[in-house]
Amino acid sequence: MKFHWFNLMPWPYLPDDFTEKHRSVWVDVDSRLFDPVKANRVYNDYLDLLEFAADLGYDGVGINEHHQNAYGLMPSPQLMASTLARRTRDASILLLGQSLALYDPPTRVAEEMAMIDCISGGRLISGFPVGSSMDDNYACGVNPATLREKYMEAHDLIRRAWSDPDVFAWNGKHYKLRYVNLWPRPIQNPPPIWIPGGGSVETWDFCAQHNYNYSYLSFSGYIRGAQLMEGFWRRLEELGAEFNPYQAAFAQQICVAETDAEAQRLYEKHARYFFSRCLHVHPGFADAPGYRTEATIRAGLQSQMAGQSSALNQAASLSWQEMIDKGFIIAGSPDSVAEQMERVARTLKVGHVVCLLHFGDMPNEVCRYSTEMFAQRVIPRIRPIWGEYEDHWSPKPMPQADRAVPRDCPGTADPSAAARPTLARVV
Amino acid sequence: MELKTIRVGHEGRTVHYYRAGQGKPLLYLHHLLGIRGFEPALAQLAAHYDLIAPFAPGWGPAKDDLPDIDPGALDLTLHYCDLLDALGVTQADVVGISIGAWMAAELAAISPQRVAQLVLVNPLGLWLDDVGGEDAFAQHPGFPSRVLFSDRSMREKLFIAGRDKMEAHVEELLNLRAGAKFLWPIPDTGVKRRLPRIKARTLIATSERDTIVPAAYGPAWQAAIPGAQLTTLPDAGHIAELEQPDAFSALVRGFLN
Repeated sequence: MKFHWFNLMPWPYLPDDFTEKHRSVWVDVDSRLFDPVKANRVYNDYLDLLEFAADLGYDGVGINEHHQNAYGLMPSPQLMASTLARRTRDASILLLGQSLALYDPPTRVAEEMAMIDCISGGRLISGFPVGSSMDDNYACGVNPATLREKYMEAHDLIRRAWSDPDVFAWNGKHYKLRYVNLWPRPIQNPPPIWIPGGGSVETWDFCAQHNYNYSYLSFSGYIRGAQLMEGFWRRLEELGAEFNPYQAAFAQQICVAETDAEAQRLYEKHARYFFSRCLHVHPGFADAPGYRTEATIRAGLQSQMAGQSSALNQAASLSWQEMIDKGFIIAGSPDSVAEQMERVARTLKVGHVVCLLHFGDMPNEVCRYSTEMFAQRVIPRIRPIWGEYEDHWSPKPMPQADRAVPRDCPGTADPSAAARPTLARVV
Repeated sequence: MELKTIRVGHEGRTVHYYRAGQGKPLLYLHHLLGIRGFEPALAQLAAHYDLIAPFAPGWGPAKDDLPDIDPGALDLTLHYCDLLDALGVTQADVVGISIGAWMAAELAAISPQRVAQLVLVNPLGLWLDDVGGEDAFAQHPGFPSRVLFSDRSMREKLFIAGRDKMEAHVEELLNLRAGAKFLWPIPDTGVKRRLPRIKARTLIATSERDTIVPAAYGPAWQAAIPGAQLTTLPDAGHIAELEQPDAFSALVRGFLN
């Protein structure tokens, strides 16, 4: 199994009465609750955590894209990916956004991902999400009736821009470019492509058709996720695809401590902050008309937030033990967590776990404790699961010895650095 | 009343429409929720006119035509010209409500010779920053059209009741999707610049309790269309045609010569 350390980067200073005084954490969230001076520490703490996780040997470090959102402070995940490309050595850069239809021209996505892949020596995983209705339709103004058309066209354009060595003209319905000629180009061509989805049936077919990884990014945990993942695997089988657990990723809240009791003492309040304040979304922003396709509506599947918000409102009112029993959160001693993680692997049949080890207003040092416990006392025990399958959805970086070494990169002592001329010597 | 179909334009797009009654041709262009059936207001108008009530591309049985229609005014206007051609109607009186009023105004502005008289009820398509209006497309997905009515219970009574609940809800969402295609994210269609071209004798009506197109938009439409008259429908919401069929048809009949 592979484990990616992922952080939504929530704003940790939402007031206690947030849900009573404000209607939504997203789209029209009160900007007066944001403090740029405090954000200096918040961003740097979160980036420290990502680098810390990479040093501990997590397979990947993950970031994603949200707009006008107090639980996701990354309107531009590519900015985060670029600094991680410099400040980490071996971890995959799991860039689970950019939402393709938000970029005009979408070749911008192809360019930026190529830059990150070059800087990181081929460690990029490129996520191609449609994006949530809150982000795409309400915060960024993309028309829900044409969002999916635009997304598909942007996808085709990016794939062609990465692969076609010649200049070409793109005369699409939504994008017209007379001269497409990508500079730079990615080392991996293409980088592994992961499709973050909520449960739209078309997404499954799309993943099957292109052999992409399907990443189910739910916040409602593995027990609720089981039914949906079962649908994904069944659909793949119907379409004649060979089963490989690495074709799927699942996001799960996880926290580890010495004992079950310590886990509750350390983490419960931060889980409650996440489920009550961070997921407090105005239903009017959950699902713009046209965001869901007719097939998805008819399948009775709920959109990302519409479906989850009912489940998650429930999570906020559960006891700690119920949160664990219902799978919203995996928590406890290393033994308890390893046992629950094994259940995740077996019931969802996923090879990649997007580990949400930071949630809500969890402070840096608390998160480091949990992150380290998981890396050292849980991962080694569950790592061998799915060992018989080959992972075709992770990056294939340049050989370590051939890669450039950034100066002052954490976790490296570059012997050649001392020999390099400093500016003072050159001048 | 049977729903008819006719193929229009050089691409042969199928239009689903009601046609009933005798007299001068009257083209009815529906609101955001489409046409529920041969509803009371239509029956009342058909008692006095040769009523033609088509589904717009993207609504009801024409839901799958949405991707092929550009969101601007030209495609839609050509579509209605093609429809009138196919029906052999050279010139008609036109009544539109909600988004249909915008389409009617575009037809009258771009092709003035086809429209003799024009009634625009609760017209979408203009935007005034200091007036605004409720966002018809940012509502609870479980009952997204409640906001269109003056009373929340009217969605269930006037749109859902008597039908398969699931089917009615899907149709509601798809009809709103069609509306969003033309009006997202702000219902400013640019029609304002074309309104002065209208030659038809015109009546603007706003509904007293419409929160989507507040009554304050009435004077802006009136000012932009030469010689237009302005009136209000007391107590009605945005979908006045379903809420108050008698008052709606009386308003139309009262104005048309």
